[in-house]
Amino acid sequence: MRDSLCLSAMAAVIALLSSGPVEAQEPIRIGILEPVTGSASKSGTENWVAMQIARDMINDRGGIPNHGRKIEYVFADVPTPAAAISETERLITNDGVRITAGSGVSPLAIPVSQAAERHGVFHWETAGAAEIITRRGHKYTFQVGPSARRYAEAAVDFTVDVLTKKLGKPLADLRVALLWENRAFGKSVGDNIRRYAATKKIKLIYDEGYDQTLTDMTPIVQKLKDAKPDVLLTISFPNDAILFQRKAKELDFYVAAHVGVSAGYSNPDLINSIGNSVYGIFVSDFAVEVNPKALAPETRKITAEFIKRYQAKMNRSPAGHASMAFAGMWGLFTELLPKAKTLDSDTLRAVALKIDLPEGSLPNGSGIKFTNHDWKPNAKDFGQNLRAAIGVWQWQKDGHNQVYPSALATHEPVLVPLPKWSER
Amino acid sequence: MTTFGQLVFSGLLIGCIYALMSMGLTLIFGVLRIVNFAHGEFLMIAMYGAWAVTAFLGLNPYVAIVAVVPAMALFGVVVHQVVISPGVDKPHLVLVFATMGLSILMQNVALMFFSADLFDVPPMFDGQSVIIGPFFFKAELLLGFMIAVFCTISLRWTINSTYLGKAIRATVQDSEAAMLMGVPVPRIFMIAFASGSALVGLAACVMMPLFSVFPTVGLNFVLIAFVIVVLGGLGSIEGALLGGMCIGIVQSVSSYYIAPAYGQLFFFVLFLLVMIFRPEGLLGRKGESTVGIN
Repeated sequence: MRDSLCLSAMAAVIALLSSGPVEAQEPIRIGILEPVTGSASKSGTENWVAMQIARDMINDRGGIPNHGRKIEYVFADVPTPAAAISETERLITNDGVRITAGSGVSPLAIPVSQAAERHGVFHWETAGAAEIITRRGHKYTFQVGPSARRYAEAAVDFTVDVLTKKLGKPLADLRVALLWENRAFGKSVGDNIRRYAATKKIKLIYDEGYDQTLTDMTPIVQKLKDAKPDVLLTISFPNDAILFQRKAKELDFYVAAHVGVSAGYSNPDLINSIGNSVYGIFVSDFAVEVNPKALAPETRKITAEFIKRYQAKMNRSPAGHASMAFAGMWGLFTELLPKAKTLDSDTLRAVALKIDLPEGSLPNGSGIKFTNHDWKPNAKDFGQNLRAAIGVWQWQKDGHNQVYPSALATHEPVLVPLPKWSER
Repeated sequence: MTTFGQLVFSGLLIGCIYALMSMGLTLIFGVLRIVNFAHGEFLMIAMYGAWAVTAFLGLNPYVAIVAVVPAMALFGVVVHQVVISPGVDKPHLVLVFATMGLSILMQNVALMFFSADLFDVPPMFDGQSVIIGPFFFKAELLLGFMIAVFCTISLRWTINSTYLGKAIRATVQDSEAAMLMGVPVPRIFMIAFASGSALVGLAACVMMPLFSVFPTVGLNFVLIAFVIVVLGGLGSIEGALLGGMCIGIVQSVSSYYIAPAYGQLFFFVLFLLVMIFRPEGLLGRKGESTVGIN
């Protein structure tokens, strides 16, 4: 009896000594799914680099606030939708990951979140913007970056608020054209521009989708040339954006203002490919470097450190994807994980739904407030972040400068109307 | 009418570029009777080659032809010896999978070395267009057109009038009989594969001022190349040129008058119609797939 009492006491002491500190030190493993090879690798790499910086910064600060657990990533490359499904399942079933994040672009975010949901795993989407991501009845998918609707609304609002004045034309007379690539992101933004433009009484004089693997842009540019728009809104990917700009110059298609939407027009390579022609193009996108006044004081410091680390790694400033990926992961590390007592999906979901973070709290100006079937325009919507930062920046000679909305803007819009091709 | 003219004109010029890109494929198929599924990736590495010569040596991309074409021929020899030659006598599927595997390997090696960034060379004349009447076009497209026509004529001349051409035709008609007559058939295969690769190199130099290069650029063009080769008549050089022109014009006109999202739909419809009513292709002869280059 005495022996067994002794043994029990020893066991209790050992258990007491071992449980607390070991758990505190055990890192939280997050499955990261980004395309770092294949056609979406440009965005995927931007995201992945920023996510690694977020992990390093939180670990350097002693881990997750409140419990000090460090972050460990389990990475998988997801170049195609098929790989997105199999790799997500592999991370969940083989590596035992219970939280996933990603996924570079919408066509990959859709299968990644689908696979995570099937296993009841909590998914934190920083980049995928297609609206369907939050409208499939998922319980554990949270889209922390802006949804496609927001890109569309930013482009249209900018046209209404700024371009009409700069071009000196009333809205009723403004000829607006819409060109969209016909995959998940382009179609989703295109549909929203059409819908939102109608509410602003903008009549689109041209509205057409195209396949991003198109090798000859002549028909599209010729159609636009015949349509004579004042403002062109386009959703393109990097290669087609370059082909379009080159063909526009070749066929001398002039438009007074061009607003691209993220993806191809936010791609840092664009300037290498089309040179000076890039100056003056507006981009409706994740906010990049926003006016520091729009940020909370602590957030300004975090943002400055992120930009410094990113520049050291990549030799250039972060573009929209990187800024959003960092802001999204920072939100996960500082707002969600510290408040979650356990890491099961139901707890994470409950904490995520309670977050009420004002705009300007995260490094790119975002806040966090997720929908929970309570969003009036669409009751199906769940997990959309209504406070993700979005705006319009412009390719200017001294960099990517935020020009809209005024709260986030650091610069005034210039080059409206655009100079003629011969003068660029 | 001006619009229609511009569309046909642009379609014709871009079609010739497609044709030039397809000639290597048709030559390899016409002689070795294998479909090189890594054709798009051959184009991709040749474009990187053209870009590197232009970017690092400051040369015009057309001057890069002098370096890229022989380098691609050499690359063709290596691929032939290492990948193609061991599979020539094996079931057809062996080389289908071997070239497919090669294509994936090349894409990923390119990604490793060049990342997913897009690379370009500066356009000639600062990207300004040549204007003839109401029509605008890039000088690079007209040059591409001339090079494609020149290539077709020289290839036809080589096949019809040179000793090598006779040996190629003999190999295609009956390789065993040719071997008995002293034609070094394995070497003919190697030369054909190297020449096909060299032609891709030429096409890449012509395309580099028009398109950006990135690891998966080949995928955007390879389907068009396959359609052109089959449409023109498998193994037919002139057929490839005609096929390319048809595809260029159909794509351009249908995209304008119907919708750019369906541009590929219409050239596949054209492709199906030709396959139904003229299965040997536009300029192919009956039974061409078993005859090849002639």
